[in-house]
Amino acid sequence: MSLTSLAAMELHISISSEPLFHIGNFPVTNALLTGVAGGVLAAVILWYVAGKVRRGTYNRFVGLVQWVFEGLLKQINDVVPDKKIAKKITPLAVTIFFVVLINYWLSVIPGLDSIKWNGVPVLRSLTADLNFTLGLALITVVTVQIYAIRYLGVFGNAGRYLRNPFKDPVGAFEGILELIGEVSRGTALALRLFGNAFAGEVLLIVIAVLTSYAATVVLPFFMAFELFIGFIQAYVFFVLTLIFTSLAVAHHGPEHPTDAHSPTDTPKKKAVAKG
Amino acid sequence: MNFLTTFAETTEKSGDIFSALGIDWRLLILQIVAFLILVWLLGKFVYPWLMKSVDERQKNIEEAAKAAKQAQESAAESQAETAELLAQARKEADEIISTAKLQASETLSASEKKAKDTAEKIVADAHDQIQKDIAAAKRDLYNETLQLVALTTEKVVGKTATQKTDEALIAKLLKEEKA
Repeated sequence: MSLTSLAAMELHISISSEPLFHIGNFPVTNALLTGVAGGVLAAVILWYVAGKVRRGTYNRFVGLVQWVFEGLLKQINDVVPDKKIAKKITPLAVTIFFVVLINYWLSVIPGLDSIKWNGVPVLRSLTADLNFTLGLALITVVTVQIYAIRYLGVFGNAGRYLRNPFKDPVGAFEGILELIGEVSRGTALALRLFGNAFAGEVLLIVIAVLTSYAATVVLPFFMAFELFIGFIQAYVFFVLTLIFTSLAVAHHGPEHPTDAHSPTDTPKKKAVAKG
Repeated sequence: MNFLTTFAETTEKSGDIFSALGIDWRLLILQIVAFLILVWLLGKFVYPWLMKSVDERQKNIEEAAKAAKQAQESAAESQAETAELLAQARKEADEIISTAKLQASETLSASEKKAKDTAEKIVADAHDQIQKDIAAAKRDLYNETLQLVALTTEKVVGKTATQKTDEALIAKLLKEEKA
């Protein structure tokens, strides 16, 4: 099957999420609708598990979610050196993992690209919408900056990027690279997740078209593969959030020892103490 | 598959890559706010319970490990104590056996000595008795001999000797006898 014949099939593939309807001037997109379902599903699952744990009634599903949560918690404590910051970053990091995982897995629901309303597919994974992935990346970058400022102080954190080029030209250049790095990290976070989710959806559509009636047999393998990729992407986003936080709070100037991770040792607090 | 051409056309029309990628600032802000609300809700009402449960489980595991370690230590101590008691018991048993053997040996020796003494006494008594019997027999024989001599002399002499003559005769006869 050549590319022209593939194009002739008029596959509905859109790089952006498409509006299903408008509320006033506000577009309600297919990704937003699926995302609401995904968010509610994540909240309901975690709420159900927490309720069961609180009552002390366990089943296999509760055990599974609790096991995953415990693993994530261990990962957070291993990656983030400061226990206070690790505890504070936990809700964000764990929510990122579960929301990304569930929303990514929603892209595997059968009926993708085939259930349409006004010619627009109703189902589209939230992770295949740049608005969501970019928003998530922005939240991560801003949160990391907030913890860095809390830990290092405003000037301490600014000192990571802005250094006197006359006194320390290499450091000044390094600071500029660090600034570019922050932007690229956020962009990479957003585009990585979006790229994988979007490519996954396109892959499922193309395989379904290419295999025609054999899709019933072939698609489940690709769906299982997508489930695996979904887990990997959720885990990668989760771990990168932790690593960026860890890097930001572990950053010290030459006058600060690297092992001094206590928030009481921040330059801001030291300056206050001196003042 | 026309999404690439559509993407290129949209970019060309709007001249804005964000619009071409479908980035809508209203949607972006809405999703950020919605996600932050979800994080807050879960962080407030869900994660504390899960974290508490994990902490409790961790605590239970640590306590169980500690208890197991203590039990292992107690078992080792008990084993050592048992071994020590067993060794002490063996030692005491050995001592008791050796003491018993010694006492038995002493008792045997004492019994043997006592039996020997008793036997010797019996023999000595028997000897004494024999000596006494011999002496008594000799005395009896002497007296009978005297009586016999007196009778004989009376018959030979024909008269009753007085005590004085009798004794003189006896003495004479004995002297002769001895000679």
